[in-house]
Amino acid sequence: MSLPSTALSIAGLHKSFGSNEVLRGIDLSARDGDVISLIGASGSGKSTLLRCIPMLEIPDAGTVTVGEDNLSPEGGRLTRGQESVARRMRGHLGFVFQNFNLWPHRTVLQNVVEAPLFVQKRPRAEAEEEATALLEKVGLAEKRDAWPAHLSGGQQQRVAIARALAQRPRAILFDEPTSALDPELVGEVLKVIRALADEGRTMLIVTHEMGFAREVSSQVVFLHQGLIEEAGTPEQLFGNPSSERCRAFLSGHFDRNR
Amino acid sequence: MPGDLTLIGFGPDGWGLALARAGLMTLYVSVSAFFCGLMLGTLIAWARVAGNWPLRKLAEIYVTIFRGVPDILVIYLFYFGGRQVVTAVGTALGLPGPFDISGFVSGMLAIGLISAASQSEVLRGAYQAVPKGTIEAGRVSGMTRFTLFRRIIAPQAMVTAVPGMGNQWQSVIKESALVSVTGLVETMRQVSVAAGTTQEHFLFYAAGGVIYLIITTLSDQFFRLAEKRSLRGHEQGGV
Repeated sequence: MSLPSTALSIAGLHKSFGSNEVLRGIDLSARDGDVISLIGASGSGKSTLLRCIPMLEIPDAGTVTVGEDNLSPEGGRLTRGQESVARRMRGHLGFVFQNFNLWPHRTVLQNVVEAPLFVQKRPRAEAEEEATALLEKVGLAEKRDAWPAHLSGGQQQRVAIARALAQRPRAILFDEPTSALDPELVGEVLKVIRALADEGRTMLIVTHEMGFAREVSSQVVFLHQGLIEEAGTPEQLFGNPSSERCRAFLSGHFDRNR
Repeated sequence: MPGDLTLIGFGPDGWGLALARAGLMTLYVSVSAFFCGLMLGTLIAWARVAGNWPLRKLAEIYVTIFRGVPDILVIYLFYFGGRQVVTAVGTALGLPGPFDISGFVSGMLAIGLISAASQSEVLRGAYQAVPKGTIEAGRVSGMTRFTLFRRIIAPQAMVTAVPGMGNQWQSVIKESALVSVTGLVETMRQVSVAAGTTQEHFLFYAAGGVIYLIITTLSDQFFRLAEKRSLRGHEQGGV
């Protein structure tokens, strides 16, 4: 039996903002079907790490590989040729933002078919049919003609997830998908992400929801000051963390949530 | 008798046809100047938002100059100064004179270049008002810069740009009256000629006011429609 192949990988990733070194050499890879949760205190670099994968932040050093494509930018810039590789890589990834970032001038359905139509150039009928099915999956079929501004935060985030899925991505990246939501709306979004995990989708999730991370992840990665301090299965990391810092972080978290 | 209305009618003694032609000329100069300003203004806004250091500086200097100098001076500079330059160049090349430049072209250019400075500010503000997250969402879906601009940035920037551009258009129409100093027969020129000839100052200047009001009111309707359309999906309503 062969192992699933590598969906994406990161090697030796460095990133600074001014004199602030946010990522100090990160290696990480995800096989098809992996669900990896990235946890850590604010400022540990987990969101920056996630944003470096589709080159929303351009690393200072290191290599990012998505499927067949890889990029090793230098000096925090992309050349013209690298820019087109980056676009191809982005096309194979879905990205879900903390603040949803739906396009306010387009309806729910138009948000979901935008990339299939105008990036992937798929036929409209096919794209709309698939988008309708995706909206059904996230429980928003009846909102297809609504404007984003008329939806709750939880609904907007579910549309954003459908929009990411519409790209038929190899992997989906979630940047704190529930942090901007009112507490009573968190559950509906986590439910959708959990269903995607059950389908075997490849996902990287930056999150503060420890219970959720423990439940859905195949691997949990704890970041501290721009380095991976500890990584392992949820059982290892939550049950018996070997790093003192990880232990302190987790106990602080569970105390607060108790 | 003041207010002999046949004077502004289309009869044999009436100035009606001349006034209508002059109104069209006002519209013609204004539209040309506005689009000249729009093209240059877009370039300047682009230079200020995305250009490198020298481009940005150049654009800033342009805006500083054209916003800080009286409009009438720019028109004189282009028309009289321009004629002087053309004459000097023509003489140097040994061409037979006399040399002249068109009041329409110099006036249209002067107003267009002035308008470009303020239009670029409107466009730059509109770009900056587009939520950065929506641009990131477009980039991350794999869009090219052009698709991103066409599908995500431009439609959202319209929300802020359209009312501002409406104001720019109104001021271009009013500034077009200044082009009358070049002798171009637009509304302002025509009504002052008519007023002088007939000594019916009140009547003709009032008629001139009505012509400008017709143009500005009709175009205001157009900008309202455009604004309503650009507001689709936003909290303020729209269709």
